[in-house]
Amino acid sequence: MNWNASDMNLFLQQKEYIDTLVVPLIKVETVEERMKASASSTDFLMNLVDYIELQFKGRIMVAPPFAYTPSMDIQQFGGMLSTDLTKSPFKHVFYVTTDSAWTSIDIQEKVLWLPSIPIENMDDRLKQSILEDQLKQLLPRFTEEWIK
Amino acid sequence: MSSKVSRRQFLNYTLMGVGGFMVSAAAMPMIRFAIDPVLASADGGDYIPTEQKADDVTETPVRVDYTIKDRKDAWYKSDVSNTAWVYRDGDKIIALSPVCKHLGCTVNWAGDDTHPNQYFCPCHAGRYEKNGKNVAGTPPLGPLDQYEVEVIDGYVHLGKTMPNTLV
Repeated sequence: MNWNASDMNLFLQQKEYIDTLVVPLIKVETVEERMKASASSTDFLMNLVDYIELQFKGRIMVAPPFAYTPSMDIQQFGGMLSTDLTKSPFKHVFYVTTDSAWTSIDIQEKVLWLPSIPIENMDDRLKQSILEDQLKQLLPRFTEEWIK
Repeated sequence: MSSKVSRRQFLNYTLMGVGGFMVSAAAMPMIRFAIDPVLASADGGDYIPTEQKADDVTETPVRVDYTIKDRKDAWYKSDVSNTAWVYRDGDKIIALSPVCKHLGCTVNWAGDDTHPNQYFCPCHAGRYEKNGKNVAGTPPLGPLDQYEVEVIDGYVHLGKTMPNTLV
């Protein structure tokens, strides 16, 4: 499911089945030299999230991406986000990000960190297989949480 | 009356001819647009090629990915990637849609180790038999959709999805 009106309607009817929220976290670099890499990892993450949505449409809702700039305190940002998300009807909340800083902070939600892969120059086939590999690695993280 | 055409008659005929031609030039496209839906060719020939050789298809379903080039949704143009599960049944080739009939997740053949001969949906453990029949007691309420299949030059071509005809 995507965060749009029609999917949300379906979600509200099928709440007992769609119990997982995936939140993409994106670091927006503002210094010129790092902007390219930042855009590339955004591209990768959004492609991956789209792919997750396609595969797990009936169980996962993908939230709109949350973006922050380098000087924002992610401990505080993540803390506030988590507090708000605990009030949401989703039983499982996952953060996905390519920013390794999220792995070292103390946060309630599961953080799925992935190294960014520059997929922008790849042909579709290669891109597809990369995304598949990445999803295969994430899959156990989802299922182990779902079994609980 | 003489059989000769008078000047007046000649001009009349010419005017009618030219006038009629001009009216039809304006009216024809209108008529053409009005009956356009009738003239649209049936979309049966709209098969999309895949890279799967028909001879290589066995009785075990394999995943076939294919891409619909340049699909247009209003002004938005995109290539759409799609997947099918393809297997052989006698001399027929069957292609099933991987979209779970429960809530639209993607199913996998032998996706669950305890049921190696079924399609498995990872979202809510829905299961389907090889022909797409939903296993009773699991969430899905209907069988997997089927693709129209055509073998052209030895390669599997896939058409539109249709309700499952095997179950």
